[in-house]
Amino acid sequence: MPGPVIKVENVSKRYRLGILNSGSLKQDIAAAFRRKGALQDSAIPAANELWALRDINFTINQGEAVGFIGRNGAGKSTLMKILSHITQPTTGNIKGIGRLASLLEVGTGFHPELTGRENIFLNGHILGMKKKEILRKFDEIVDFSGIERFIDTPVKRYSSGMYVRLAFSVAAHLDHDILIVDEALAVGDTDFQIRCLQKMRSVTQQENKTVLFVSHNMQAIRDLCGRLMCLYDGYIIEDGAPAKVIGNYLQREKMQYLSQQFDKPGEAPGNDEVRIKQVSVEAVGKKIIDAETPLTIACEYWQFPDGDSEYMVGVHIYDWSWICVADMHSEGYKRGEGLISAVCTIPAGFLNQGVYYISFDFIKGKDKKVWSFDACLSFEVQQSPGYKGWNGYVRPGFPVNLSFNKS
Amino acid sequence: MQYLSNMNNEPNWEWEISTSHKWYQLGLRELVHYKDIIVSFYRRELLAAYHQSVIGVSWIVLQPLLTTLFYFLVFNKIVKVSTDNTPPVFFYMSGSILWAYFSDCLSGAMYSFIHNAHIYNKVYFPRLVVPFSMALNHTVRFAIQFGLFLLAYIIFMCVSGRFVMSWQVLLTPLLFMQIMAFALGIGLITSVYVARYRDVEHIMSFLLRLFMFVTPVFYPASIVPEHYRMIFWLNPLTPMIETFRTLFFQTGTLHFAYIAVSAVTSVSVLMAGLVLFRQKELKVMDTI
Repeated sequence: MPGPVIKVENVSKRYRLGILNSGSLKQDIAAAFRRKGALQDSAIPAANELWALRDINFTINQGEAVGFIGRNGAGKSTLMKILSHITQPTTGNIKGIGRLASLLEVGTGFHPELTGRENIFLNGHILGMKKKEILRKFDEIVDFSGIERFIDTPVKRYSSGMYVRLAFSVAAHLDHDILIVDEALAVGDTDFQIRCLQKMRSVTQQENKTVLFVSHNMQAIRDLCGRLMCLYDGYIIEDGAPAKVIGNYLQREKMQYLSQQFDKPGEAPGNDEVRIKQVSVEAVGKKIIDAETPLTIACEYWQFPDGDSEYMVGVHIYDWSWICVADMHSEGYKRGEGLISAVCTIPAGFLNQGVYYISFDFIKGKDKKVWSFDACLSFEVQQSPGYKGWNGYVRPGFPVNLSFNKS
Repeated sequence: MQYLSNMNNEPNWEWEISTSHKWYQLGLRELVHYKDIIVSFYRRELLAAYHQSVIGVSWIVLQPLLTTLFYFLVFNKIVKVSTDNTPPVFFYMSGSILWAYFSDCLSGAMYSFIHNAHIYNKVYFPRLVVPFSMALNHTVRFAIQFGLFLLAYIIFMCVSGRFVMSWQVLLTPLLFMQIMAFALGIGLITSVYVARYRDVEHIMSFLLRLFMFVTPVFYPASIVPEHYRMIFWLNPLTPMIETFRTLFFQTGTLHFAYIAVSAVTSVSVLMAGLVLFRQKELKVMDTI
């Protein structure tokens, strides 16, 4: 019977914004004088205070994979920092059993002048591994990273991909009982990300370790976690089964991003091969989107082709619980550098009411994902007037034919 | 993280994170557990410092030699300050390597938070690891420089036939530990404030420069007027450097009272530094 391994009781965290922003003695002395007067009513939150976490309580059992979601600034990272013992809670305490390792970033402490080999040891030690442990796992780490040939090259000569692979490999071989992972997977190429996820899954399922996972990637968090907590404004407002928590989260946020536009390629999201100019979703001929409205989903982007590779652009529609409803893509094309516009039209009567998200995928050759602009658009299909609502993801309106037999 | 003992009715919690810990919980046992990381940080410093430099590690030896030469030219040939019957080269060399050891250890510890904020912000390990590994780094440096000093000293004695070294020279490691304790103590205390107020950084580099002038680095304590002598000797570094020279060249008497005061001061400063550092190590990170 697995028992609790982490117990968080009444944890709150306050940041003083004044101190956070100013590094100068003069301002602090002035602040100290001001505070003296206000000491008695310290229960009243001052304007320059920020409660990043408020009264957090939960227990996590051994072998659980728990995900944390919430918008930026909801307190996820602060909570992870407190659990990792990087910063202290203002109130409350946390008790735990077993060795805890946190991966709030890949490659913490990597030094560019040192070789891959030296950095494995340095990073391993920083993450809490003993020398013997690293020696035992050294070959495995190098193997997993796939950079055997460059192991004695200073990491400053590595490509960013190699750097990330090496860094994650060290982290993946930590032999800790509790692992805290914060968005560390949002790096590296897609192939490697999939391997990382697989590794993480095997860590929880086969090795029976406890994992705490923070991510904005709903797909990943759904795949990995058996329990989710949703933070809002410093509180944990929901704790339960992933699909339900994600669904409520997305519905609560009601994020309607009907368009995004970027003027300069330098500032636009993307990478060396693709930069987004604008994305939009529009109802054709109507102001509100309901099930009877045809939609056009458009994406305009700068393409910087790599040689004369063939490219393809895909449009994915996800529902509120991050299930892919539809996956459409263009035909392959070969073009020089330039602006490309892709438009996909969804006919009326296809999507049922609900909240939907759109991602664009950029694919090279047959199946190599160059980049994807995840959840860049979202919209809600309203209930059509006069109807009470329908079930199902799609509403294709296929006819249901009747025939009346005379009896 | 504090390790807990067994409790009833509850799972056997092994560690606890809370809002504070007692001042005497210095976490030194935990530090032993993390000893590999001290060595690892030390190697990082060493490798990183001498990468892409032409003569690399030779700088460790070259630096005191050049400083000694410079002091010799300026203070012996131009300003003509007495060296108290100590052969000038050894006088300046001892002053410069001891001072360098002090100031390097101090700055090494002082920048703990600033130079490692990116690591401190992402992962937990006892924060004391950094100042300790810096101290280790500078101690190794100093050991090499001291070896150089000894080599020159032995050659000099054989050539000049002036054999005056006493058995008390064997006690010099105690002096070195005292210097390190004092430097580390001040460094730990200032590290907390430097992280918070960058002004302290400027104040400290200024004070450190002034402090060198009131320490017998390039002049002997004997030229200090009677009127200021007591205050001068209360500087913990004065007895340390003077004693070092006296032990090797028998040029004066040992002032045991001042040595004792200096030792007590150094150890107290170190303890104060450790306690303050431990109390603030996590809070500081909220302000960087």
